[in-house]
Amino acid sequence: MSEKDALRRRIYAVEFAAWELHLFLDTHPNNNEAAAKLEEYRMRAEKLRKEFEEKYGPIGETTQNTSRWAWISDPWPWEKEAN
Amino acid sequence: MFVYEKRLQHPVKIKNSNPQLAKMIITQYGGPHGEIGASLRYLSQRYAMPYPELRAILTDIGTEELGHLEMVGTIVYQLTRNLTPEQIKEAGFDTYFVDHTTGVYPIAASGVPFSASTFAVTGDTIADLHEDLSAEQKARMSYDNILRFADDPDVREPIKFLRAREIVHFQRFGEGLRILTDKLDSKNFYAFNPSFDKK
Repeated sequence: MSEKDALRRRIYAVEFAAWELHLFLDTHPNNNEAAAKLEEYRMRAEKLRKEFEEKYGPIGETTQNTSRWAWISDPWPWEKEAN
Repeated sequence: MFVYEKRLQHPVKIKNSNPQLAKMIITQYGGPHGEIGASLRYLSQRYAMPYPELRAILTDIGTEELGHLEMVGTIVYQLTRNLTPEQIKEAGFDTYFVDHTTGVYPIAASGVPFSASTFAVTGDTIADLHEDLSAEQKARMSYDNILRFADDPDVREPIKFLRAREIVHFQRFGEGLRILTDKLDSKNFYAFNPSFDKK
């Protein structure tokens, strides 16, 4: 696996953990332990995303970390090369 | 509003085409237990939800389902790359191909196009949440059936991810139903519709 793919997989994993905690908190809004974990994962994700976008182009359309042209460039998420 | 992220929720990287499998898996794109129906069901039901936890869980799960729709579309797309006319005919993909070539169209495995008649929005909290639990279970069942036919580990892996999400969503909806009934009269949960009748 390339360095780019490995970094992307790490972002997938950390953001998935954050999403799972976010869903859990919908039905457990008073759970402080889950809220603290969510905060931790969000910070990790933000750091990893910044690193990825600086090197390889945007993930979100509102990102400040890259150029306008990178957004319209291949590969789009449904291509093998993007995964 | 919605903002697009240029990535899948979970990676899909399928090396070998398999139009026969694509013809089955497309049912989770536009079939009766598929992801577009799931998303429209939850994002439409949320308006009538009487409590904040329920509005949140329907919004968030409805949003995640859009990500799953994208994953299923991606699986179908990658399974139908570089096909020869012989492969298309042999796989029985010709009946789809004649109308859609290798575009991804929301359709059930049986060929019936997507219809909102596959789900309900009743405006009754108990009815809607029970439907949601059932929908998650039906989607899990569909992914189980797909796994009976999918040998390729590149396909099985993301399908297993989607299957596991149905189980988590079932759990969250169950908690939502519990949050609701805890606020109602335990002697008669059905005495009134909490999203319409004033107590």
